Amino acid sequence: MEHLLETIGRNMFAIFGVMALGSAAFMVASRSAVHSVLGFLFAMLCIAGCFLSLEAEFLGMAQILVYAGGIVVLFLFVVMLVEMSKKKEKEVFQAQSRYAVVAVLFGAAAFMGVFRKVIFGTASVEALVLRPELAQGLNVAKQNAQAVSRGLFADYLLPFEILSVILLVALVGAVVLAKTERV
Amino acid sequence: MPIPTLTQSIVITLVQCLLVVIFVFVVVPLTVFAERKVLGYLQQRLGSTRVASGHVGITGWMNRGMWKWGRIPVLSYWRGIPGLVADVLKLILKEDIIPAKADRFVFFIAPAISMVSAVVVFAAVSFVPGVFFTFPKWFPFVGGLPVSGGIADINVGLLWILGVASVGVYGIVLAGWASNSKYPLLGGLRSAAQMVSYEVPLAISLLAPVVLSASLNFGEMSARMAVGLPFWGLVPQILGFLIYLTCGFAETNRLPFDMPEAENELVAGFHTEYSGMKFGFFYLAEYINMTVVAALASGFFLGGPWLLPFGLQGLVNPFLPAFLSWFGEPHAIFFVVKIIFLLFTYIWVRGTIPRYRYDQVMSVAWKYLIPLALFNLLLAALVRCFA
Repeated sequence: MEHLLETIGRNMFAIFGVMALGSAAFMVASRSAVHSVLGFLFAMLCIAGCFLSLEAEFLGMAQILVYAGGIVVLFLFVVMLVEMSKKKEKEVFQAQSRYAVVAVLFGAAAFMGVFRKVIFGTASVEALVLRPELAQGLNVAKQNAQAVSRGLFADYLLPFEILSVILLVALVGAVVLAKTERV
Repeated sequence: MPIPTLTQSIVITLVQCLLVVIFVFVVVPLTVFAERKVLGYLQQRLGSTRVASGHVGITGWMNRGMWKWGRIPVLSYWRGIPGLVADVLKLILKEDIIPAKADRFVFFIAPAISMVSAVVVFAAVSFVPGVFFTFPKWFPFVGGLPVSGGIADINVGLLWILGVASVGVYGIVLAGWASNSKYPLLGGLRSAAQMVSYEVPLAISLLAPVVLSASLNFGEMSARMAVGLPFWGLVPQILGFLIYLTCGFAETNRLPFDMPEAENELVAGFHTEYSGMKFGFFYLAEYINMTVVAALASGFFLGGPWLLPFGLQGLVNPFLPAFLSWFGEPHAIFFVVKIIFLLFTYIWVRGTIPRYRYDQVMSVAWKYLIPLALFNLLLAALVRCFA
């Protein structure tokens, strides 16, 4: 019993990874758009599980909060309103699937190229430690919210702020696009 | 203190889960009953009294006597409790109808999502700091091991709570869509907009405790908010509590914000097409969500397992005489009492304030609550900075 549980605990990452891949495949393959969104939601939750199994609790929770709780809800909102029942629309979107397969293969190859050493080598992943001196005095496995915040607000403050400005620009742009008729 | 093996710690966690489920399934039916009764008394009627226990004859006789005196009979407070059993039986035994044009899979999964996301929030809630109780030595397999006051008192508990609570929106939206009918769809869309909007001021109002306590862990936050702050900490807490409670009402779709199921506009909103235990799951999830919101409010603003709210406990504790020291320590009972009081507040508000119009609901969130919550956050940051 003990041995079995330990084995499961050690392979949690693989379990969640396989589940995430499976639900992503379900998302691509399913006919109904709402089912796709459900598959996407489940994939996001599984990725959060992957983060958790790597003791990156903060990232896992942010994943649930931002993707599962925020972005996918918006997807669902749009999908519910734009019911793709017409054959023409279906053809438009399903014609893209072969390009999507090529893109996925390309992306997987690129990912393998970058992370080959991490996946197949013996090098262990040092989670969240960008500059070792930033993590000084912190137990990264237990306090990774603090570790991430040190990285964001000490080491990479400028890029972080620029990113938020970019998001603001996108937001203002969306408002302008939506409001053009009345101006 | 012995260190549990992996299997033992899993068993302990299961015991904790069982305790939480028992807590929830005791509190929820009693809330349902209290809602009928309290609403009844608020509207000067008796509430549900028909299904009474075996003493129908005696209590009925005594009730008649009290009516003759011109008093409202006290016994009628408890009459109607057996009706709860009848309610549950009805929900379980009722025919489970799936509309012919519904999307069967999504129709099936929607109540499950609602229910799971409501219950799972309790994983990060810590009922009492430290050890809740220790198993006695004679207990098989886990004897002598401590059981902590929270299931998983993780480092980022607040994010877990907010994240899982936001997943709860799917239950309602998907139910509205899967029913393939007009009223549920409108109810689902309304609730999606409402819940997503109210999550913003809710999260911002919870940021004030985060700033003040410098932690994201539920147990640590409630401890520092209750006993760790100087009295400056009071000000942002009271304002934040009111904002949080308002948003909590909206998040759980309770009056005065019950847009998704406004009866006279949308029949029953997103669960119009549901029957049997699937409807029961939505019903349960609503009340569990109320309990969750009440638990968070009591943990972050009302002092959690300590007696006094708003950080007053930390101010009073040094002056507490020795024979009253029991009131200076954290106890799970205080936490539960606060939750029950907040549940009563829900019903109280429901009986007092009429429903908002839909556009008013949205403008309250975006035009008033978010600026107010941001102001509260600023206040908390100033307190943190200068005091």
